[in-house]
Amino acid sequence: MLFSLTTQELMERPDLWEAVHRLRYKIFVEEMGWDDLRRPDGLELDQFDHDEAVHQIVIRGGEVAGYQRMLPTTRPHLLTEVLTDLSEGTPPSGPNIWELTRYAVAPGFRDGRRGVSTVGTELIAGFVEWGLKRGVDKVIIEFEPMWVLRALQLHFLATPLGYQRTYGNQQVVATLLTFNEHTLDVVRSRRNHFAPVLARGYPDMLGQRRAS
Amino acid sequence: MGQFDRTLEYIDQLQHAATAAAVCERLLGITSDFGLTALMAGTVPQPGTPAGQQKQHVLLCDWPGEWLERYVARNYVDHDPVVSHMKQLQAPFQWHEASQGIRIDKSSGEVMGDAGAFKLRDGLAFPLITLDGQIVMVSLGGEAVELSAAEFGQVSLVSTYAVGRAMQLHTMANRTIDHIVLTPRERECLQWAAVGKSEWEISQILGISEHTSEKHLLNAKSKLGAVNRVQAVAEAIRRGYIS
Repeated sequence: MLFSLTTQELMERPDLWEAVHRLRYKIFVEEMGWDDLRRPDGLELDQFDHDEAVHQIVIRGGEVAGYQRMLPTTRPHLLTEVLTDLSEGTPPSGPNIWELTRYAVAPGFRDGRRGVSTVGTELIAGFVEWGLKRGVDKVIIEFEPMWVLRALQLHFLATPLGYQRTYGNQQVVATLLTFNEHTLDVVRSRRNHFAPVLARGYPDMLGQRRAS
Repeated sequence: MGQFDRTLEYIDQLQHAATAAAVCERLLGITSDFGLTALMAGTVPQPGTPAGQQKQHVLLCDWPGEWLERYVARNYVDHDPVVSHMKQLQAPFQWHEASQGIRIDKSSGEVMGDAGAFKLRDGLAFPLITLDGQIVMVSLGGEAVELSAAEFGQVSLVSTYAVGRAMQLHTMANRTIDHIVLTPRERECLQWAAVGKSEWEISQILGISEHTSEKHLLNAKSKLGAVNRVQAVAEAIRRGYIS
């Protein structure tokens, strides 16, 4: 189950809000070493958690298992403000283009070994479903070049927006991914799971397993 | 900006290539500027994979023909320092680093020496990891290789798009064969054939004529692209139609 919430909606659920920002801290500060984001409270937040951001959360067994944040490209986002050297020329923008940031799978849910975990592919199915519903057909992602291959395997149309750069010990390339219904079909058949993943409303209180 | 536009154009061409051979040709058209004139990309076979099966792991290949034959026939994949270096390092590197980094046994030296005889003196290699965690090794080589770190990055990115395109073409080709619909009767007949029943016995078990059971098995055989009943059964098990 993947829940897609605005920042306002997320703040109405303090348990979920905290779990999300704690997971982000654990992964991006502690695991990936993005020290600029280090804070004493162990929560990761930045200027892009604004009221137009969309938080997509995968819940498994009453826990936050996966997360990604979607930002509209009609206002400042990472590629235009922070990761500017990843783009050659003006990055594409518009209501149909969003930026996917903070893609994260919680450590206990990385069942993919070297490959992509089921939570990871649920996040992918989730943003594609979400986008197709609201007229979004492109996302900008700053990811490791390795992901280009996976995106192509899932039949996204991929276009690099700039050269790959090295940050710390990580290679990153900004890429524009275009998708359609066919992409969703391929993602679903790779997952071997054909039902929509996008859920309505809110998840149950964390720590409480659903009966189903 | 001019150079980046060219990279985009290459990538666009690669994504429109209709066959693996066309992907190879376009990629080498780009990399030959840096002296990389030969290409091999594929999943890495488990050590000890029989020579006959090694070629199935190849996604893109434009090695000199005789070199590929020799590589497979002599099982060089198990001794190639480039392959073992990649398995350990899991990051891009140049071939000459592979032979420096590890103690070369006699067979490894032979692989590199032989490669040189085929005008493959240096090159670069890097691993990619697929959705399901398979390692794809990409190796580009030539006689006089010269490229800067930035060009290395550009070549590896363009190669990633090439491998992605090759994998798309590969799954599209498999899908046409994969689209097999067996009828419940054909499946039942295969299931009984799998436990050694004859056509007559199958007809008795299912309450149909011997001719009909024979017909079901023939249909299943042709749908599965098998040359005989044993292969049809094996293929049906492999694809999960029967157990």
